[in-house]
Amino acid sequence: MELPADFLAKIDEAISHYPASKRSASLPLLHLWQEQFGFVSDAGVSWIAAKLELQPINVLELVTFYPMFRRQPAGATHIRICRTLSCALGGAYELRERVAKAAGIDLAGFLEGQKKTTDHGHPHNPGHGNPIAISADGKVSMEFVECLASCGSAPVAMVNDNFKENISLEKAADLLGVTKSDATLPKVLPPHPREKRVVFKNIDVAGYTPDIECYLKHGGYAELKKALAMKPDEIVAEVKASGLRGRGGAGFPCGVKWGFIKRGGPKPTYLICNADESEPGTFKDRYIIHQDPHQLLEGMIISCFAVGANLAYIYIRGEFPEGAQILEKALAEARKRGFLGKNVLGTGFDCEIYVHRGAGAYICGEETGLIESLEGKRAYPRIKPPYFPAVLGLYQCPTIVNNVETLCDVKHIIQMTGAGYAKLGKPNNTGTRILCVSGDVKKPGYYEVEVGSITLGELINEVCGGMKDGRKLKAVIPGGSSAKVLRAGERYKLKDREIGLEDIPMDFDTMAACGSMAGSGGVIVMDDSRDMVWALNNVNEFYAHESCGQCTPCREGAQWMRKITDRIVAGGGTEKDPATLKNVADNIAGKTICAFGEACSWPTQSFLAKFPEEFAVKATKPLPPPMPPEYNTTELQQNETIEAVPAPRGNSKEVMAPAATR
Amino acid sequence: MSTETAAPVQMINVQIDGVWLQFPKGTRVIEACRQAEKLIPHYCYHPKLTSPGNCRMCLVELGSPKMTPDRKPIIGADGKPEIGWIPRPQISCAQDVSEGMGIRTNSPMVLESRKGVMEFLLINHPLDCPICDQAGECKLQEFSVDHGNASSRFLERKVKKPKSVELGPRVTLDAERCILCTRCIRFMKEVANDDVLGIVDRGTFNSIAAHPDRILDHNYSLNTVDICPVGALTSSDFRFKMRVWFLKDTSTVDVNCGTGSNITISSRENVIYRITPRDNEAVNGCWLPDSHRLNFKFVSSPARLTLPEVRPQLGGEKSSWQQALNLAAEALKRNAGRVAIIASGRATNEELFLVKRLATILGAKVDILPRTGEADGMLIAADRNPNTTGAKLLGVATGQLAQIVAGVKDGSISALIALGEDATKAGLTEEDIAKLDTIIAADILPNKTTAKADVVLPAAAWCEKRGSMINLKSRLQRLNRAVVAPGSARDDWEILRDLILAINGSNGLHNIDDVFKAMAQETPALAGLTLSRIGDLGVDITLP
Repeated sequence: MELPADFLAKIDEAISHYPASKRSASLPLLHLWQEQFGFVSDAGVSWIAAKLELQPINVLELVTFYPMFRRQPAGATHIRICRTLSCALGGAYELRERVAKAAGIDLAGFLEGQKKTTDHGHPHNPGHGNPIAISADGKVSMEFVECLASCGSAPVAMVNDNFKENISLEKAADLLGVTKSDATLPKVLPPHPREKRVVFKNIDVAGYTPDIECYLKHGGYAELKKALAMKPDEIVAEVKASGLRGRGGAGFPCGVKWGFIKRGGPKPTYLICNADESEPGTFKDRYIIHQDPHQLLEGMIISCFAVGANLAYIYIRGEFPEGAQILEKALAEARKRGFLGKNVLGTGFDCEIYVHRGAGAYICGEETGLIESLEGKRAYPRIKPPYFPAVLGLYQCPTIVNNVETLCDVKHIIQMTGAGYAKLGKPNNTGTRILCVSGDVKKPGYYEVEVGSITLGELINEVCGGMKDGRKLKAVIPGGSSAKVLRAGERYKLKDREIGLEDIPMDFDTMAACGSMAGSGGVIVMDDSRDMVWALNNVNEFYAHESCGQCTPCREGAQWMRKITDRIVAGGGTEKDPATLKNVADNIAGKTICAFGEACSWPTQSFLAKFPEEFAVKATKPLPPPMPPEYNTTELQQNETIEAVPAPRGNSKEVMAPAATR
Repeated sequence: MSTETAAPVQMINVQIDGVWLQFPKGTRVIEACRQAEKLIPHYCYHPKLTSPGNCRMCLVELGSPKMTPDRKPIIGADGKPEIGWIPRPQISCAQDVSEGMGIRTNSPMVLESRKGVMEFLLINHPLDCPICDQAGECKLQEFSVDHGNASSRFLERKVKKPKSVELGPRVTLDAERCILCTRCIRFMKEVANDDVLGIVDRGTFNSIAAHPDRILDHNYSLNTVDICPVGALTSSDFRFKMRVWFLKDTSTVDVNCGTGSNITISSRENVIYRITPRDNEAVNGCWLPDSHRLNFKFVSSPARLTLPEVRPQLGGEKSSWQQALNLAAEALKRNAGRVAIIASGRATNEELFLVKRLATILGAKVDILPRTGEADGMLIAADRNPNTTGAKLLGVATGQLAQIVAGVKDGSISALIALGEDATKAGLTEEDIAKLDTIIAADILPNKTTAKADVVLPAAAWCEKRGSMINLKSRLQRLNRAVVAPGSARDDWEILRDLILAINGSNGLHNIDDVFKAMAQETPALAGLTLSRIGDLGVDITLP
């Protein structure tokens, strides 16, 4: 195959970023191929496999796993509309219809086509293979995608690589002509007085640019110099003293995680920045990457030095193409200035960082799934034990995976010392957090506050300007869409007092005590106009789509829950559905390889528990009659005789005829 | 007998369902439970492959000793450590036992977990057991009995996946039956070193697949069918041929090369339907090459020799056994001193023992026909004769083949006995053997030698007889009869005994066990052994 020389040069450059394993270059090569040719052809799969000395199936596995890769060409203008909860609350479904109309796409026909039967007489699997709708003239194509991590400016979409936010439904047609991105647009809102901006200090500041000159002018890389003069163990001790807990979702103490690394072993240590921001409702890392990339790099270089890593990767989600470019540029600048590369600032410390782009899979946010993805495989999370990243991580070497915000915090811990940082927030819940508020509030957005310094009520009513006019609060998902939903008016018994929903301080421990979690800081607010069954179905669709399918309960259960809620929303709810839904969720949670099991079952468990009446009114139909007569082995062994007429299921009034008379 | 003293194995105390037991360090939790006769249902776990922990069927409750603040185990009233239980179920396939570990294999939490996983595995399964080849030996069926529901509460449309996919020339996939345990993928990657299988699509749509550029055509591909716990991968050869519960299983040994892989022959009403590997850690583990397991069709060939035949100048065309043997004996006596025997390295020890006797009586030169190929570095040996070792031990493989060939060519040999081998494959031409006064051939299928033979004696194939062979690693193993030889064909040892009888009278050998006994008496390496004592797994012997 004849390929352009500059393309081949890019391929070789990408491969050079992975000295330990060429296979890791699979995703970068697939991205390059799709950029060059518009889609990944069968020939492309074979070529990449040969180039990386892999079997073609190794590459085909990836193309079919990561939704961003297309095996057929799209239109010259390809529009990806986010359909996940916050955008759906913001009108994403109507937006899709309007865009389709403007582009000449027969949306109804497309959706109907999804249900048609195949050549073999089987119905298609709805949603299978991320189908795209193409306009009659073939120029425009469109697809629904899962969360684009800008929930505060919903609805959002991407037009080719250009990100577009706050899309007005009336101007939906304008999307077709978008040639500029909103990704780096500063917001005009000044910080709210209740905020304490540390990590977001430079975000949206007029005149602040992502280049290194600007960063240096604002005191950038001073902490790196300070850190390099310390001993690595001293840095780890400072981070431990700071009480910093991971900002990715699990809230694990960062210093403790670092402490798991055994130094001086035969294997290299790796650091990975988890920039796969993808928990619906969360949109904080996006702004750090797009507006203040050097802050992240400085935090990462310090962290590399602290844990003894000489090579680090930033795993950035595929939907941030501009972010990846900005980071690449920032890395080049840092290299030029000696902050990166061999012998950093003359200290003898070698440090290299590369950007690695994901391709649209939520599961890559799970650290072991991310590691597998970075190794050029399907992002299947690993079993723990034995694969704890600090021991058997990337390439089976000790590896630290930290969230973007966490790594930025490291820089500030060096600046203000661990003890100084620990003074922010509350004990065991130290520092600041960026809370991302989306949904039905007047002023959705990101707000950096000291952890626990503000209650949920203050956040919604004061900082976010309250609910939309004439609306009342109904439900809050406080820590990304997998966090358990909280209902307005609920009371929570804590150790020392009882509080209401709006009194919950936004910290890790109290949120957990109230039965949910602070998670990734994504707060999704819903008002009294919202249908909770519809909302749960939207969340279920996300998790069904994003389940990697590796282990049984999540692979089968997530899709089952979606099918049930989908049927209820469509008017087909049976009286047994709520009980079945809850039991399915119970059978997933705690039984899977990774935390996705909980992530996908907690919404169902909590929506059902908190809003039972909304499910009850939609789940009223009697079950279809059962097949006669079926007995389980225990019944057959224990009972003298077996009734010929099985008891009707559920509360059905139907009485079964004896089997013999049928 | 080994004189080495093994390093002392550290024993670990583990509590399984309330009973304290000891296991060697490094024992998997699931294996410890198996040894304690607490079978943990599982799909993805296979002792020969890595553990991905993906099926979630083997969930158990695990606990570790409660510790005092200074990290000492708290000892309970019974003198055993008190156990702190992990609040959620854990997989038992990926962890080794540890000191003081507690395992509950049948607690309510465990049973509830299994029931949940079982239901998940079946909601999108087609439940087409009546037409599924795996029915009767399917782990989904097996564990459904213990952990399944009598009826389904799944009201939704099932996921549709590819069916009847030819992954390669010998393996067919039904993706709807697949539970995605990835045993096949791991086998191809880790054992066969040919990473051609993978999973395409995502989530509930996941399907096993091979890329069209690199299909599953490896010579060990059928092992994926063996280890597939469900009806997803089926043998294209066996597919839809026979319900497995009608099959009779016979434990015997593969004869396609000197490895002597242990096999199970599955037959019904004297027809072989399939051959599968039989576990033997000392020989083949649990694997078998495709080329070996599919090499049984010739046994039921319509061309099989079923009646003794004699050439017209010696008597009738078709003949009785007695007549044929008498004619053969006469002809051989007539040529005494000028007889040669080409025996086979595919013959059993018992047959070779009698060959040696016959050679001695006739003063004949004897050798086996070597048969070589390329070793595959796995289970296929370069020596494609299964019993070269036995032939050497019993003095039949003598290295005289070249002399025999020369003797036939120069006329110093005038009678040739070909036992299970075609003399034209030994370097003789059809013209060469046409010059011989007498050719006696015992074989199962016609060949160029039987075509020219004066007496043709129909013999039995390896699956039609009992006997023993010695593999290249000096392991004495036993063949068992799976099917009976067609027509009047006879076991080779009987043919040889009766031929000897016709030449020089009684020898007191009434059955195959007698032959082994006689052989063991004369052969120090086999001293003290009998056919029964060899057992199904064979015994290592020491060659002189």
